[in-house]
Amino acid sequence: MPRLLELLRDGPVSINLGLVEFAEALEAQEAPVVHVDWTPPPLLDEETKAILDELL
Amino acid sequence: MKAWQTAVERNRYYDSVFLMAVAHRLSGFEGIEEAAALMGSPSNKEILLGMGADEASVADASPSDLIIALRGDRDVVAGVLQDIEAWLVRPRTTLATSAAGSLDEALSRQSASNLAVISVPGEYAAAETEAALDRGLNAFLFSDHVSVEDEVALKKKAGEMGLIIMGPDCGTALIGGKGIGFANAVRRGPIGIVAASGTGLQEFACLVHQSGLGISHGLGTGGRDLSDSVGGLSTLTAIDALEEDPETEVIAIVSKPPGEATLRVISERLSQCAKPVVACFLGVGEACPNGHGSFEVCGTIDDAVSAALRLAGGMGGELEGLDHSQLEALAREEAGRMAAGQTYIRGLFAGGTFCYQAQSVLRDAGVTLHSNAPLEGVKSLGDSAASIGHSLVDMGADEFTVGTPHPMIDASRRAKRIAAEAEDPDVAVLLLDFILGFNASNDPAGDLADAVSSARRVAGSGGRHLCVVASVCGTDEDPQGLKSQIGILAEVGVHVFASNVRASSFARDVILLRTTGGG
Repeated sequence: MPRLLELLRDGPVSINLGLVEFAEALEAQEAPVVHVDWTPPPLLDEETKAILDELL
Repeated sequence: MKAWQTAVERNRYYDSVFLMAVAHRLSGFEGIEEAAALMGSPSNKEILLGMGADEASVADASPSDLIIALRGDRDVVAGVLQDIEAWLVRPRTTLATSAAGSLDEALSRQSASNLAVISVPGEYAAAETEAALDRGLNAFLFSDHVSVEDEVALKKKAGEMGLIIMGPDCGTALIGGKGIGFANAVRRGPIGIVAASGTGLQEFACLVHQSGLGISHGLGTGGRDLSDSVGGLSTLTAIDALEEDPETEVIAIVSKPPGEATLRVISERLSQCAKPVVACFLGVGEACPNGHGSFEVCGTIDDAVSAALRLAGGMGGELEGLDHSQLEALAREEAGRMAAGQTYIRGLFAGGTFCYQAQSVLRDAGVTLHSNAPLEGVKSLGDSAASIGHSLVDMGADEFTVGTPHPMIDASRRAKRIAAEAEDPDVAVLLLDFILGFNASNDPAGDLADAVSSARRVAGSGGRHLCVVASVCGTDEDPQGLKSQIGILAEVGVHVFASNVRASSFARDVILLRTTGGG
C-alpha cells in the first residue's frame, strides 16, 4: 500500500522540523509528534566540502 | 534619520516566528523607532540593507548567526543591545516530550512516523524534504521560497515512492480529523478536499462542518502545484489517494485558476474518477472543461460546498442567516445612512483566497477594482500600501510579510490600514476576513475590534457612516470559538457573514446602491 494511503488510514504520526507551534498544535489534538530541535547545517569552506564530497 | 545599530550573536538559531515576536516587542520599547531580528541568511541580510542597515555591520554574519538591528535613541538602543539576552527568552513549550536532535533521532524514537511537517527557512527546505522522502515520510512543506525545479524534482520522487508532498508554501491540511498548520477543528465525514490554497481549504472545511457533515481528509498541494510548470503533480497524487480512501465518498477540488495545460490534465483525470467530484477553480467557473458533465463545476466555494453536501447525501448546504429580502433591506438601510461621496469599497484580507474570491464577486457585478493580487480583469494596485478607488488588498502577500508576522497571527498592520481607510471620505464599505483555528491568533476578532470601533467613530465625526462587513472562517470547536468571535465583531457594529462569498455579496450590494444612486 502506498505510504500516502497509510497516512490517511492511520492518521498523522509526525516529525516536526521548524516552528515548535506546529508540534504543539498537533499534540493539543492528541496526534503523535516528535519535535526536532532544528538548526541550519554548518557552513563549510570549499576545501572541507571537497573532502567530504570525496569521502561520501 | 537616526542610524541603525546592530549586534550579531554567533551560532544562535531562532525560528522566524519567535524572532518576529521579538522584533515586535522591541519596536514597542520607548526610544526605539524600528527593530529587526533576523537570522543572517543572504536574503535576510538583503532585507536589512534595504531597511538602511550598515553593510559592514552584517557582512560576516552567517545563516546560523542572529542579527538584531535597532534604530532609535542612541543610548536606549545601546542599552537594549547590551541586555539583549533578556529579550531572547523563549516562552516555555507545552510539548510533553523533549525535542530530538535530528530527523534520524526522531525516527528512532517514533518508528511509526508517516509525515514530516517542515517549516524551516526556504533555503534549507528542499534538502530537509528530500531527507524525509528518503526515510519514507510524506511531507507537509510549509516553507516557501523553494525553487520550481526543486519542487518538481521532489514531487516526482515522492510520486515514485507512493508519497505526497503537500507544498511548498502549504498552509493547511486535515488528515484523519487532525489539523496540520493553520487548520480548523472540523468533524470527520465523507467529503475529501484537495486544495492548492490554505484559506480555501479552511473555508470549505468550516462550511461543511457548519452544515452538519464532515471532512475525511483535506490535502493541501501548495499554491504553485497547478501551474503548468509543476503540472499538478501533488494534486493528481491526492486525487488518486482520495479515490482509493474508503472514508471518502465525494471529492472536492478548490484552487485559484490552474495553468491552461494543467487544467486540461486535471479535468481529464476528474472526469474518470470513480467517485463524485466537485471542482471549484476560482475565477474560471463555468469555463472549466468538465469532461462532458461527468463532474460538477462551481464558481464559488459556497456553491462547491452545497454541491458536495448534496452529493454526499447532506441537506444541500443552506447556511443560516438572513434571507434575500432581509439582506436587500439591510443593504438599502446601510447605503441610505451614508454621506454624499461615499462610494468605494476597501477590502483588507488576511486570506489570499478570500481576496481573490471577493474580487470575483465584485468584478462579475461590473465594479472596476484594484488589487495587489489581481484576478483577470482587475487592475493592479501600483502601491500595495495605498488604496485607489475600489481596492481589495491581500495583506498576507509577500510585500506585507517580509520580516513581519502574517496577518493571521498579528493584526497590527491591518489595524493601521483600517485606520488609514477610515480617514478617506470616499470610503463606504470596509470588507474584512477573520480566520480562526490552530496556530492563528488567539483572538482575531478582539485584535481588530478597537480598530473597527475607532474607524467607525472617525467616519461618524466626519458626518459619514462606515459600513463594516466581515466573514469569519472557523468552527465552534476551534480554540477561539466561532460564536464568541462573531459576538465580539457584532458588538462593534460589524455585519458578520458565514462565508466570504456572502460577505462579499452583501458588500457588493451596498456599493452598487451607492454607485447607481440607489442609496
